[in-house]
Amino acid sequence: MAATVSSEVFSDLQLLLKAPSKDVVREVCVQSHSGPSRQLTDNTAAALSISAAQAAQLVQSLHTLSHHILFYNLSSPEQILSIFPETFHSSLKNLITKILLENSPAWRTGALDKQVSLPQLKDLDWRVDLVTGSDSVSRMSMPTCLVQLKLEDPCQSTDMESVSTVTVELRQTARNILGAES
Amino acid sequence: MQPQFMKDVPDSVCTDFQNLNKLNEQQFIRLIEILFQFLLEPKETERFMQQLAEFAGHHGMSAGPLKTLMKSVLLVPQEACKKNLTAEQIREDLMAFGLGEDKAAHFSHQWAEHNASLSRRAVEQTLMVNQLVDMEWKFGVTVGTSEIQKVGSIFLQLKLVTRKGNSTENIYVELTLPQFYKFLHEMERAKASMECFS
Repeated sequence: MAATVSSEVFSDLQLLLKAPSKDVVREVCVQSHSGPSRQLTDNTAAALSISAAQAAQLVQSLHTLSHHILFYNLSSPEQILSIFPETFHSSLKNLITKILLENSPAWRTGALDKQVSLPQLKDLDWRVDLVTGSDSVSRMSMPTCLVQLKLEDPCQSTDMESVSTVTVELRQTARNILGAES
Repeated sequence: MQPQFMKDVPDSVCTDFQNLNKLNEQQFIRLIEILFQFLLEPKETERFMQQLAEFAGHHGMSAGPLKTLMKSVLLVPQEACKKNLTAEQIREDLMAFGLGEDKAAHFSHQWAEHNASLSRRAVEQTLMVNQLVDMEWKFGVTVGTSEIQKVGSIFLQLKLVTRKGNSTENIYVELTLPQFYKFLHEMERAKASMECFS
């Protein structure tokens, strides 16, 4: 059984009743999923005509709720509706549930993309050359392969370069290792 | 007499080879043995120098001139390797340098014996950029994350060990299953392309 969401979260959610339209509710819910920010708190306070402190709490509560839904994979309306307290405003409850269900697939994909991971292989290019000579052997005919891997590290913070390129050269024996792995 | 094949070797090598004629058969054989031992393991310079010093001491020669002589003699097998010369071609050129017939025959015979190893070594030492030395892999299933309790996605992790100068560097890569199949497909294509030329 999924852990429960605290009642403070739901009392904060009642503030959404002050929203002038359903679109505003949707906007606040979706934005809150990424996490609190100064900008979001200010916009929410203005849109709902509430204090900054109240807006901050509302954003935090929405964040907690959406992440709870995501973590426990609550994917049906019944599952989500059942976590609300009995006394919660019915229409608001239905609206929030609808918004959460609409956005869950995208949030899930986003979470999987950003999960802890080693650098991911984004692209692969290769080229086969024939080495025809070198400083130690004037004439030869030896195939060699250059492989360029484009790696993206999802754990790098956005202000650092997250895509790196690595070029690796392979000869016969290395090629056999790779062939053997399959 | 002028050498026919090893034209890029300096003239002073002639004098050096004529000095080699002063050695008796046993001495020459031993010296050539030391030479080829070094050629097969070119990193063992200290051992090479030490063996030359021992040889010099054993046969009442000065180590200094002997080492200088051998450094010059080394140019011959290096040139021969570069030009892919046969044992017969080397024998002819050694005699052109002034080396006695018996000694030239012995040298070229040793060359013929070690040719394959020496050629392979020369080819292997051809400049490589970020050479792939080793690869390790593991398959796994992600069962959950801090964001999603139950996941169930397959991953493949690769560790590529590459040579960067004198040390190695590890590159870690993670691939999803579709990415892995694409990687495999591309590597098979590269392998097929290389096989056309080998």
